[in-house]
Amino acid sequence: MKREEIRQRLKEVQSLPTLPPIVSKLNQMVSDEDVTAVKLGRIIEKDQVLTSKLLKMVNSSFFGFPQRISTVSNAIVLLGFNVIKTLIVTSSIFEVMQASDIGLFEHSLGCATAAGLVAKKLGIKNPEEVSTAGLIHDLGKIVLRAEMPQEYELVVETAAKRQQYMREVEQEALGIGHGEIGGILARQWNLPERLVYPIEYHHRPEASPDYADVSAIIHFSDIVIRALGFGFGGDKWVPPLDHQAWSRIKLGKTQMRQLLEELDEKLMELQDFTLDIQQDKKESA
Amino acid sequence: MARIALVTPDHFKRADERLCLEARGHTVVANADVARSLEGILADPPDLLIIQKGLHRHMDQEVILALKNNLQLALLPILLMVSERDLAVGLDWASYPVDDLISEQASIEEIITRIDLALSRARRVADNNPLTKLPGNSSILKTIQSMLEQAEPRAVAYVDIDNFKPYNDKYGFSRGDEVIRMVSRILVNVIQEHAGAGGFIGHIGGDDFVFMVPLEKTETVCREVLTNFTALIPLFLDEEDIEAGCFVSKDRQGNVRSFPLTSLSIAVVPCVPGHYSHYGEVASTAAALKKKVKALEGSNFLIDRRRPAGD
Repeated sequence: MKREEIRQRLKEVQSLPTLPPIVSKLNQMVSDEDVTAVKLGRIIEKDQVLTSKLLKMVNSSFFGFPQRISTVSNAIVLLGFNVIKTLIVTSSIFEVMQASDIGLFEHSLGCATAAGLVAKKLGIKNPEEVSTAGLIHDLGKIVLRAEMPQEYELVVETAAKRQQYMREVEQEALGIGHGEIGGILARQWNLPERLVYPIEYHHRPEASPDYADVSAIIHFSDIVIRALGFGFGGDKWVPPLDHQAWSRIKLGKTQMRQLLEELDEKLMELQDFTLDIQQDKKESA
Repeated sequence: MARIALVTPDHFKRADERLCLEARGHTVVANADVARSLEGILADPPDLLIIQKGLHRHMDQEVILALKNNLQLALLPILLMVSERDLAVGLDWASYPVDDLISEQASIEEIITRIDLALSRARRVADNNPLTKLPGNSSILKTIQSMLEQAEPRAVAYVDIDNFKPYNDKYGFSRGDEVIRMVSRILVNVIQEHAGAGGFIGHIGGDDFVFMVPLEKTETVCREVLTNFTALIPLFLDEEDIEAGCFVSKDRQGNVRSFPLTSLSIAVVPCVPGHYSHYGEVASTAAALKKKVKALEGSNFLIDRRRPAGD
């Protein structure tokens, strides 16, 4: 399968599957009378697929806010409980959930957490938006996994065998990397450029035509979360840090130490949630 | 119920047909003289018109087109009564822009069903604002009036976007429409969540909305609406204006003027049974309150306290 063919295939991607335990948890919540849109949002914002679907919907021409809404909490205010409920009830799941799916879920969640913390440290105006960019930065990998499972498997296996980065193998085998794939889909779904560019350029943040600061933060967070060994990003290598991107962030030693401490604490909290998800997997298996 | 005008000189002569309509609570207006009854329709529009095809001198066509070209009456449902032969030959819908048709052979049950459907469709769509799809003025009036006649204490709140004109001038109408849609989505979602079926939202027009909630929910709803608006509005403003904290523009004389950024004002009139008997009284109390709340800086709500609840 080659680049152009993949680009064509992407045009037809309307929706992506996600982890069964998350969807069943949300379905349970929806039937509870006391649940609010905000409570549902707290789960949705942990899942990159549901978050992108929510953003796709609110930025669609039907709702009428094209390329404007970039965070789950804002989307929820505009969509309301009934629409979110429909989104949950109609969401699709992976028929067979693999360990690597949970790994990627954790990696994305970890990256979102790190990106949010860095954004706060740097005093960026909307840290939640940066966190969202972190959450969905590997959307392209979900596309490969769901739409081209054979190619995805080949890429993951080759990366492991040859000890290469996933994106290098993707370029070689498919002529297109997951960053670009995610970027194409995000643009097609009318997501704001503030999200599209960081997705597309998280491996080469300095090429980002705009919002280079956000792209740099996502690039950095991706690396930090891999280095900490939280989740699984598709290959087990920690990519090199782009020096120019780092010069945009440039946390001092003390700040960096603080960041790692805060991150550690947050990741511990997240672990409870991800263990829950894995537990559900075992039960349903 | 509904006022139904009949311009069907050759049909509906049987007393039982009219009786059936009247039994369902409708008022039937009919005049043997076609020209007279048509005049009456334009002077005092009914809720629904049934007109027979093929009237003398194409009068049917003339009337239908006249009604559909009239902005206030374009949404009046028109049912065209046609013969089996018309159906076989086919109709030119461009010269007959009607809402539905009734065959001359139709049973009384079918006629009544079609009338009910047309009326319910009209209630659904006619009054709704095309941009927000929210009910418009006549629904607002009806709903608030019927609420005043009920026993539960409610609050009627008037919502208005402050400095919407400078926003439109600066960013253009299509972005202005986005803000209006944003406000309508916030209102719908907050009120749905806190009041469910006990709430109502209408779009008066432009940047003016009205909503109604059970009295005890008023403050929660107002606070949440304002919180959500404050969280979202920066997404609809340009970075430079947010930084400046105001809109800067030139007026017609070329003088530089600055306007505060777009915010939201809510004027709330508590309606305890017995205080107000007519919608007009609520609206006038609201108008006075609206001036006060709009004079405040930023997004605010004010509740009319002049008549304490239960006095």
